[in-house]
Amino acid sequence: MIRFQGLNKWFGSALHVLKDINLDVAKGEVVVVCGPSGSGKSTLIRCVNGLEPFQEGKLVVDGTDLSAKNAALRELRMEVGFVFQQFNLYPHKTALENVTLAPIHVRGLSKAEATERGKALLAKVGLADRMNNYPSQLSGGQQQRVAIARSLCMQPKIMLFDEPTSALDPEMINEVLDVMVSLAKEGMTMMVVTHEMGFARKVAHRVVFMDQGAIVESGEPASFFGNPTHDRTRDFLSKVLHH
Amino acid sequence: MFWFQVERLLNYWPILLKGLGMTISLSLLSLLVGCVIGLLFGIIRAGRIRWLSALTGLYIDLFRGTPFLVQVFICFFILPTVGIELSAFSAGVIALSNLSACFIGEIIASGIKAVPKGQSEAALSSGLRYSQQLRLVILPQALRIVRPSLVGQFILLVKDSSVISAIGIMDLTRSGWMIVQNIPNGLLVFGVVGIGYFIICYPMIFVARRMERRQQTSIL
Repeated sequence: MIRFQGLNKWFGSALHVLKDINLDVAKGEVVVVCGPSGSGKSTLIRCVNGLEPFQEGKLVVDGTDLSAKNAALRELRMEVGFVFQQFNLYPHKTALENVTLAPIHVRGLSKAEATERGKALLAKVGLADRMNNYPSQLSGGQQQRVAIARSLCMQPKIMLFDEPTSALDPEMINEVLDVMVSLAKEGMTMMVVTHEMGFARKVAHRVVFMDQGAIVESGEPASFFGNPTHDRTRDFLSKVLHH
Repeated sequence: MFWFQVERLLNYWPILLKGLGMTISLSLLSLLVGCVIGLLFGIIRAGRIRWLSALTGLYIDLFRGTPFLVQVFICFFILPTVGIELSAFSAGVIALSNLSACFIGEIIASGIKAVPKGQSEAALSSGLRYSQQLRLVILPQALRIVRPSLVGQFILLVKDSSVISAIGIMDLTRSGWMIVQNIPNGLLVFGVVGIGYFIICYPMIFVARRMERRQQTSIL
């Protein structure tokens, strides 16, 4: 479903932010990407839907080759949902309007169809009673759940999460993770950048550890957490697990 | 003496009223055209086509950096020499629309740039085309941000319209010039003219102030 082959990316000419990335994500697989800040994990996930260009190597997502100059990015983005750290809801639209905007204008759904689908999804993320609220009237956790519903309303094949809980107050993290867990259990293909190791342990098929732009280690949660092979992984885990 | 002049001035009210009407129609028409072109300028200025943005920027700076009177004279006196004959009214509307478009364009461009980058990224990620991103996500927010400064600019442009009296349009200012030939009391006559402009501008000032207050209290 997602295949990185020898991908390299530089910011400018000096800053080598992604170094020789090789990674496969199969259909229905949940891959958690972790690592210290500045390790390139956000950049990595942003490459998958073409938010970040890269200079070298190959990246194929759902049959679309992103290294090609004329890659059909818009068509790809219709199939790939993206959830941001800062939610990025449209502040001038209600929760329901946020969710139905792209289905109406990109998928060409009628307003009635989109509204029906949107209401069902907002109910699914536990916000049936908040549909007509504006983002500014919602808590961070509620906003992020709207953002997830917004992506799901396009019925994507892949969902990407870029630190979805990092901007949330601690008591709101679980309400968002719960939605993500149920999504993972439904068989959604997911790439999740997060520090929530509990989530990784529970639902990830694979955990990838990045440092300084390179993938250092990757493995199933049991072996990744139980017996990491690299010092840098161990060092990182000791920092995120023991607090 | 003073009351006698006031009485005579009252006889001139049809001229003053006509002048007021001319100033209103001239400003309104120019602002309307200026908004449409200014929106286009703003989108281009904030857009990704570098050379077009730079070219538009140069054009805008050219008009922002030269006196409006000179622009009006060029429209009215120079354009005919290259075969474009214009009535004073058309020349006035063209000059003022153009100036409005330049100022409004820069304001709208600043508004577009002030919308957080995450907004266009979210819109882009959901598969919206660039034109849809602008129309549905970016512009509604950008216009909300710049609304107070936009109304402020409208007020300045209404007042700038007085410059156009120089090419013989019977607007409020020129009515004043005419009347003062007969009633030699400049303070009185132009006091009344000033009140005329204030009558047009005050509602706009009022609206702008309310908008600013609303923006400060809004939770956005």
